[in-house]
Amino acid sequence: MDRTPLPSLDPAAWSAPPAVHRWRGIALAVGLVAAAACLAGWLLDRDQMLRSWLVAWLLWLGVALGSLSLAMIHHLTGGAWGLVIRRQLEAATRTLPLLALLCLPLLAGLPAIFVWARPEAVAHDHALHHKAAYLNVPFFIGRTVAAFAIFGLLAFLLGRWSRQQDEGGGAASGARMRAASGLGLVLMVLVGTFVSVDWLMSLDPYWYSSLYGVLFLAGHALSALVLAIVVTWLLAGHAPMSTAVTKKHFHDYGKLLLAFVMFWTYLAISQYIIQWQANLPEEAVWFQHRTHGGWQWVALAIVLFHFLFPFLLLLSRSLKQRMPALAGVAMLLLVMRWVDLHWQAAPTFSPDRLALHWLDLAAAVAVGGLWLAWFFHQLAKRPLLPVNDPHIEEALGHG
Amino acid sequence: MSVDSPHAPLPAPVRPPVIAPGHSASTVTERISNIVFGRMPRWFWLAFGVAFMLVLGLLASIGKLLFVGIGVWGVTQPIGWGFDIINFVWWIGIGHAGTLISAILLLLRQEWRTSINRFAEAMTLFAVACAAMYPLLHTGRPWLAVYWLFPYPNSMNIWPNFRSPLIWDVFAVSTYATVSLLFWFVGLIPDLATMRDRARNRAQKLIYGVLSLGWRGSAIHWHNYESAYLLLAGLSTPLVLSVHTIVSFDFAVGQVPGWHATIFPPYFVAGAVFAGFAMVLTLAIPLRRLFHLEDFITMRHLQNMGKVTLVTGLIVFYGYLVEIFTAWYSGNLYEMFMMRNRVLGPYAWSWWLLILCNGLVPQLLWLRRVRSSELALWGIAMFVNVGMWLERFVIVVTSLHRDFLPASWGFYKPTVFDWATFVGTIGLFLALIFLFIRFLPMISIFEMRTLVPEAKIKESQG
Amino acid sequence: MSTPNHGPELHGLLAEFDSASQLVAAAHRTHAAGFRKVDAYSPFPIEELAEALGHHHSPVPLLVLGGGLAGAAAGIGLQYFVSVVAYPLNIGGKPLWSWPAFIPVAFETTILFAAFAAVFGMLIVNRLPQPHHPVFNAPRFALASRDRYFLCIEAEDPHFDRERTRQFLLSLSPTEVTEVAP
Repeated sequence: MDRTPLPSLDPAAWSAPPAVHRWRGIALAVGLVAAAACLAGWLLDRDQMLRSWLVAWLLWLGVALGSLSLAMIHHLTGGAWGLVIRRQLEAATRTLPLLALLCLPLLAGLPAIFVWARPEAVAHDHALHHKAAYLNVPFFIGRTVAAFAIFGLLAFLLGRWSRQQDEGGGAASGARMRAASGLGLVLMVLVGTFVSVDWLMSLDPYWYSSLYGVLFLAGHALSALVLAIVVTWLLAGHAPMSTAVTKKHFHDYGKLLLAFVMFWTYLAISQYIIQWQANLPEEAVWFQHRTHGGWQWVALAIVLFHFLFPFLLLLSRSLKQRMPALAGVAMLLLVMRWVDLHWQAAPTFSPDRLALHWLDLAAAVAVGGLWLAWFFHQLAKRPLLPVNDPHIEEALGHG
Repeated sequence: MSVDSPHAPLPAPVRPPVIAPGHSASTVTERISNIVFGRMPRWFWLAFGVAFMLVLGLLASIGKLLFVGIGVWGVTQPIGWGFDIINFVWWIGIGHAGTLISAILLLLRQEWRTSINRFAEAMTLFAVACAAMYPLLHTGRPWLAVYWLFPYPNSMNIWPNFRSPLIWDVFAVSTYATVSLLFWFVGLIPDLATMRDRARNRAQKLIYGVLSLGWRGSAIHWHNYESAYLLLAGLSTPLVLSVHTIVSFDFAVGQVPGWHATIFPPYFVAGAVFAGFAMVLTLAIPLRRLFHLEDFITMRHLQNMGKVTLVTGLIVFYGYLVEIFTAWYSGNLYEMFMMRNRVLGPYAWSWWLLILCNGLVPQLLWLRRVRSSELALWGIAMFVNVGMWLERFVIVVTSLHRDFLPASWGFYKPTVFDWATFVGTIGLFLALIFLFIRFLPMISIFEMRTLVPEAKIKESQG
Repeated sequence: MSTPNHGPELHGLLAEFDSASQLVAAAHRTHAAGFRKVDAYSPFPIEELAEALGHHHSPVPLLVLGGGLAGAAAGIGLQYFVSVVAYPLNIGGKPLWSWPAFIPVAFETTILFAAFAAVFGMLIVNRLPQPHHPVFNAPRFALASRDRYFLCIEAEDPHFDRERTRQFLLSLSPTEVTEVAP
């Protein structure tokens, strides 16, 4: 009586198609060329290179951390949506070692990025002096190392239990993954908040917003979902995933994407309304810099393309079910994630005038290329579906 | 299908059902509607009587307020917002779980919401009614408040200030009340038709008949109905987020340290859901026993509500911690003083109690043992009810009583009329809940019918 | 149209079924047989049923979209009129057109109007409230709000014929077929 026979659940049937290796090659080539350009940039204008690198690194860090969050949310809540993209999410979490490596130039050049890392600036500034207990180089590096250790451990453990599940260790690994995810999400929110303060908010150390951590993490979840959608669309064009991914899965991702876009917008606009309305000097100036001197056009672009267009498009049921269309919206959002980060970071260095350096683009492509190459490499290592998950049949029969 | 690999997946873990086995469309109909058609037990009237006494107390204290003025309350400089705003926010927050259960869980296709949504929506309405009373009374002359609050061409020729969050609040709360009422009523229509068709006398038949609008269960009607219901759910979800967000704006867009914090919107929303689920647990645990509804409100429901309470509680706790960090990180003298005063000042007891009730006690919900014990869940829910009230007390009172100017510092002391009004609204809330149970099906009958086995459509080609 | 063979006193023929699945199957066959003035009655919503009867798209979503747009326009227009035209007042040094401050109210009116459109649109499309309808005349129809399933082929249908339609309905294996007075 079954409508369509379900695909086989043999792990061997779910190994990555050759296309994944090809994508890895392309990503690596593009990444290396852009990285070479960045190296040239390092020699020409080291400060600019580091500032561009920061935004690029934060974008792809967001994809990795967001993937970790989504994987943990899925372990806790279940649902068909997560099983089909779980391997993409897990592969993304295994890029954390690469991201730690790509962070080294930033750690080496902190004074070029953060005003609080320049002793001569702190010496003459009362506010920075007060904050020096938190914003100082050794503590900052320590926090970053601790954050990577915590996220890395979570990614490692969840990845290992997931592999054990593939090998037949069903129920026990499922329970372990759920338990670790509960605790892991608590850690993600707490540690993620400090990462947001350290790496983005403290660029302007006078400004503060208690919502910032949540907004940062919501952006991560959005970036991660976007990547998962694009990769799932790519995989759906090749056997074996072409037999597993259905319209209905994409409809679910479309709905999730809509929800994430709305949630991110809600947080962003709440923060803006509160600070605009209260109009306190130490807060309002942050938005002042970002809505004048050309930056207002970037802000407008964020309103239009990070919210309005994706929102209106995603309201349509038929768009959500068409994979290429949904993947197109997702790619637009990935670009807008970068624009948003650039809009938050770059006005610190150029508050009066819109600034876009060629290194900004080169760095985004370099980190992105290297990251994607690593990601596809990791993706190919495991079966593309968690075939031994107790809910997998349910998830595939979804179509 | 056949799996010929050795890697046959394990069977999915069995979860407790959302409806006890053995029920059919007809038994579901009878069990739920008979509560209304049957006689109420004696404890019901006793409890209703007590609630009604409290309502009388409420009326008396409102009368006093209207004759004398809001001087009968404890509000005064520097604490111009006392019990009235605390209770307003507390009640409106409690209402949020109803919308969350009925709308968000519907969109997420969580079947377990079915047996509690009607009840939770009623709770929303009554909580909003209690909440809306406070700002109106706070104006002292509610009959004049109309032109302060609503934009219409009045004889003074002046208009409300749309830059003020208090006007946003008027729009948010009245929209919320209206949409919640519509959502609730639309959900009731098919059940009112059932009540009409099962009515035992003319009066019942007439009243339920009029209210059911002539519903006859036509397929075409159901088709449009389902579409409208889903859309209402889709509209209610951002609405419910916006309501508590705007309530938080009442505080956050100002400049008072302790009020002006960007984390307020999500933290208020989470707090509202937290308080609301605690209230649903507070009411559902005894009611399912008293009316023998264990088949419909199963342990699965209670466990899930425990989980939601835990998650939202953690978000709220996160809010407290972020506020402390931001107060220090801001480097702003007043922010830092506010935080120190909150934790160590004369009202420190309220902050520490808050941490106990909302921060520490709900952590017990991590344990499955606790989530599967009715008594433990009920006890934790009571802690949360108190804790969420204290949260608003801490925000309103400790922030206002020592602000920028030490010369204008002061203390807040609620009067007997503050307490009578507060307890009176609890009475009003309970009395309305009792009336609802008496006259309307407290569980959505038609949605419960969709959960019984016979509702599954077997594919048959004709 | 050929003059159908039925008396004027008939609303239609009502067949009663035991289960939702039977009703859906019957609806499919009725539609396939060419009947168009058909309605089915069930105690809970059955997604497949309206489809089976040939009703695909509900007009309600479009109404809601219209309501939402009207609400947004009303909210923005109201605030513009009040704050800029009717009562321009400098408050806290904010511009008269303080758009960030006007987002919340515009949002609320959008939702409010959309919700009105959903509820009243649904009622109007369904022609409710309608206190009386001929199917209520059928003695067992009260069970449609409990656990029985009904299919009614209305006399207005061009293919309707008292006898042949009754035979057709009987071929769908209902528990009973009754005539419904108008």
